[in-house]
Amino acid sequence: MLLRLDPSADEPLFAQLVAQLRLAIAQGELRDGERLPAARELAESLEVNIHTVLRAYQELRDDGLIELRRGRGAVVAIAAKRNYSPLLKAIDAVVREARALGLSSQATAALLREAFRT
Amino acid sequence: MNATLSFEQRVRRRQHLTGAATTVGGLLVLVIGAAVVWSWRGELPDPVATHWGANGQPDGFSSLNSALAVLLGVGGLSVLFLGGLTWALGKAAATLRAMAAITVWLSVFMAILVVGSLSIQRGLSDAREVGSINGVLLVAILASIVPAILAAVAVPGDPRQPTTAPVPADAPRVKLVEGERAVWISRVGGRVALYLAVPIALTGVAVAVWFRIWPALVVDVVVIVALLTFTTFVVRVDRAGLTVRSAVGWPRYRVPLDEVVRASVTQVSPVKDFGGWGWRVDRDGRLGVVLRKGEALLVERTGGRAVVVTVDEPAKPAGLLNALADRARTGG
Repeated sequence: MLLRLDPSADEPLFAQLVAQLRLAIAQGELRDGERLPAARELAESLEVNIHTVLRAYQELRDDGLIELRRGRGAVVAIAAKRNYSPLLKAIDAVVREARALGLSSQATAALLREAFRT
Repeated sequence: MNATLSFEQRVRRRQHLTGAATTVGGLLVLVIGAAVVWSWRGELPDPVATHWGANGQPDGFSSLNSALAVLLGVGGLSVLFLGGLTWALGKAAATLRAMAAITVWLSVFMAILVVGSLSIQRGLSDAREVGSINGVLLVAILASIVPAILAAVAVPGDPRQPTTAPVPADAPRVKLVEGERAVWISRVGGRVALYLAVPIALTGVAVAVWFRIWPALVVDVVVIVALLTFTTFVVRVDRAGLTVRSAVGWPRYRVPLDEVVRASVTQVSPVKDFGGWGWRVDRDGRLGVVLRKGEALLVERTGGRAVVVTVDEPAKPAGLLNALADRARTGG
């Protein structure tokens, strides 16, 4: 699983981490029941505070994507198993169309957010 | 003096020193064991018991001379074989440590087993009167672990050999924006080991209970710990470089960013390339953490060293490692 953080982006680091982990689960890079990296290890690799990682893990738990177990750390929840492939395909199509129109990722994201409001 | 030696010379010197030291040490342990037993020759029955059946009673007998010949012959050949392998292939510190531990463990185990099994026959007129071997077996299994660990700890770590040469342009890369932080992390193995561990554990318990051979339980635990140690690994690529470590925490292998020559994707066949699964070394001294056939991450390291790890989608860690190595070298 590849995780990346851009400290110069507007989005807070924990939110970036949540998005990256969500993607890893959606794409099946993290399978059901698989253990997530230890928070301390991840914090060290990404040069962030351990609480940033723990906050991201808590957010994912609140969404029902992972389970936090004492002594075993964080594991991907069985309930996280959903079929993301149609959504991922649709997103691919959106990106293709946006590129064809020369729209930036921010502009495309703004359109998506707008669409969620209705 | 050390400063005048090249990196290759230092690696080769450590490799030969470890091979020689473990061979000499192992042979010495066997000879001392044989000498101790020889000093008892007047008090031992003739023939002596050399094999025990499942019921804990002796069922194999031979002369003292042939018992010693087996200890020195089989033990000596094994030590020479392992020491020779270390001498020829032991490039990485992790490999040397494992080899040193196995060589020392084997010789101490064999020596204790022979000395112990004969010490309980001292003063007997008939070897058939000797009782169970279980106590000796237990001592041999447990007492040989400590010197094996000490031997592993005594092996010096890998000397540093940083490079400033750029990673070849045709190597795969993950695009990183300036200041971006990234980590690639994955677990390999695991499942297969668990499927193996459960039947092995049950077989061990069944043997121990059915035949009343209690040391089998200890062997069982040792085998399962070894199985888990060498079949489940966490592989990580980040600003520290490549880290491969057993889920148990040891053994561990690290390639710092400034020692990465190139990371790429390769095809590996555990049996053909490494002669088996797990933590292996091939004919060229390449370290292999190989748990299945197929695509694997290949990291070439300074000093002609290399490591192969069977991870899924190896293009990602290879690309990230090259990109991070680029960045570390350009100071960006």
